[in-house]
Amino acid sequence: MKRILVVAVLLSIVIAPLGSFASAQEGDPILIGLQGPMTGDYAYEGQGFEKAVQLLVDQVNEEGGLLGRPVEIVIEDDAGDPTQSALVADRMVDSGVVAVIGAYNSTATEPASEIYAEEGILHITPSSTATRLTEKGFTQFFRVCFLDDRQALFAVMAMDEVLGAETIGILHDNSTYAQGLAEWTQVYAEEAGLEVAFFDAINPDDQDFTPILTNIGQAGLDAVYFTGYHAQGGLLLRQTAELGLDIQWMMGNASNNPEMVEIAGVAAAAGTFITTEPLPQDLEYPEAVEFVDAFIEAYDEPPASVWWLLAAEAFNVIAHAIEETGSTDTEVLAEYLHNDFADYPGLSGPIIGFDEKGDRLGTIHALYEINEEGVIAYYPEQPQPATEE
Amino acid sequence: METFLQQLINGLTIGGFYAVVALGYTMVYGVLKLINFAHGDMFMWGTLTGWALLTTVFASFTDMDVIAILAASVVVLAFIGVMGMTIERVAYRPLRSAGRLSPIISALGAAFALQAVARNVSDARWRTYPEGLLAELPNVQLTGRVSLSGLQVLMLVTCAAVMIGLYLFVQRTRVGTAMRAVSLDHDVSRLMGINVNRIISLVFFIGPALGGLAGLLIGIYYGSFNFTLGWVFGLKAFIAAILGGIGNIPGAVIGGFILGISETMVVAYGPDIGLADASAWKDAIAYVLLITILIARPTGILGETVAEKV
Repeated sequence: MKRILVVAVLLSIVIAPLGSFASAQEGDPILIGLQGPMTGDYAYEGQGFEKAVQLLVDQVNEEGGLLGRPVEIVIEDDAGDPTQSALVADRMVDSGVVAVIGAYNSTATEPASEIYAEEGILHITPSSTATRLTEKGFTQFFRVCFLDDRQALFAVMAMDEVLGAETIGILHDNSTYAQGLAEWTQVYAEEAGLEVAFFDAINPDDQDFTPILTNIGQAGLDAVYFTGYHAQGGLLLRQTAELGLDIQWMMGNASNNPEMVEIAGVAAAAGTFITTEPLPQDLEYPEAVEFVDAFIEAYDEPPASVWWLLAAEAFNVIAHAIEETGSTDTEVLAEYLHNDFADYPGLSGPIIGFDEKGDRLGTIHALYEINEEGVIAYYPEQPQPATEE
Repeated sequence: METFLQQLINGLTIGGFYAVVALGYTMVYGVLKLINFAHGDMFMWGTLTGWALLTTVFASFTDMDVIAILAASVVVLAFIGVMGMTIERVAYRPLRSAGRLSPIISALGAAFALQAVARNVSDARWRTYPEGLLAELPNVQLTGRVSLSGLQVLMLVTCAAVMIGLYLFVQRTRVGTAMRAVSLDHDVSRLMGINVNRIISLVFFIGPALGGLAGLLIGIYYGSFNFTLGWVFGLKAFIAAILGGIGNIPGAVIGGFILGISETMVVAYGPDIGLADASAWKDAIAYVLLITILIARPTGILGETVAEKV
């Protein structure tokens, strides 16, 4: 943060004497904002954003920049906090960025998105999945992550294609997130012709789920999708084994946690499927492999979270749009992303395009399985992404 | 029918745990007319202590888990028992003549203190017992699809043994007679030569010790816990005690089983009577049942035989 400030100050000292007021087209850097939690609870993610985006900026600059101009990132810390986020957004606007990547959490993204929309600055979030963010009619707001309904679609495809299930059950825990995911799953399952023969919720304060497990066990289901969190997931798996029931479990991304295996016990957890955003090193696309290798070379560690990779993805999308349109004007860029941007080889897989709300089409989720050693491992057989409607 | 039997077993298991924890509430209420809100958290401390022992000191006993568990049980009984006596001495006895409200606030304070320490000790994370404890216990396949795990049998037998043992202790021994006397009248008991403070200390040893043992059993049975366990289970057990008639030992047991079985049956048969999300409704329905019973019998199911209070 400090280093960048110093660089910025130095740069302004160097550039100011050149007196080029109207030289936006000349050699001035293109400023791209990165807003994220550099401190606070999510600092781990925000700092990863910075590493990932800086890596690509350096690469772009080595190859001569965009439109012949160098690229520079402007980093602002919102600490994941909505109040700070609004202040950050104002500062971003003042600094003259052409586009902003961020924020990390939906709560922080929301107030900033209002300001960027008002000021007409292209805004892409790598990681905020709250549905309502794209419900406000903003024309220059996009996301490279996927909403929970995409995970639901993926889970249905996995149960349908990989498990060959015909009759399924869905179990949630009454939290907003889990219930949403469960309801979307029901919608897509019925669309896909699967029979949802069981749909119910647990109370996450409970310790004992044997009554509902007994019901599930008697319902004759091919697979059951649990959309809640890992602690209850672990208890469900353990008690399934305790009751001697034969239930094929599949869990949502809130259960993607080794602690679930610990709670369940390896024997009870083995054979359970998990739908989740893949870990960066499990992505097999050449662009992803290349990115992960470059990341390791630069920082001596692999990108730990898929959200880091998606921050890089957001930068690539912006850079690509600028190159293709030859413009840094938000309206032109947004128009391009909505209408002409298609089948781009993204780091997290091909980006089919963005819909009219700015949400990414397709799905990134992957199928994992808890193997015999209790490790959550990438499953060799993945459902094939459907050609998008 | 098979499903019903299976659900009955599930309900009995849950109810058994409620019942043992409810004993602690009911005993203390019997002698002091005090709702010991710290009881649920002492019970959770039993789980926590058991976890600490089985994952460290007794971790090397993995081949002899029966011995490890027996040793852990002894330590938990002693430790939680002494914890109960200490809390009584420090937080309740000085307030004994201060009316009824002050001790309740003090009890809540003790509960929060216990919970806060447990939170820090466990890093507020879910903690897990060693895997495969007592895994050699066979599952009993009753008929077709009804199964009763060895662990469930052990839990039920232990709960039953504790409850019967306690009942006999209170009814048939000299000390038990003294306890019943204290529960009737402190002053008259003192005139009869009973050391009332010592009896109260003993009650505060036995109740929490049994709660702690139940905590250890829950840890073994469910395999994992976090520091909020005492709050949830404690509340249910408290309700079980009221339901059965607080102050009454067989009442606490009956209340525990009624609550456990009725909760289970709501989840089991809720969907059949058109109740979606039966799990979410479970507590609401269980409490409506509680209120109904209390309206019909304000002192609880067995609450009227006042002379038998402990």
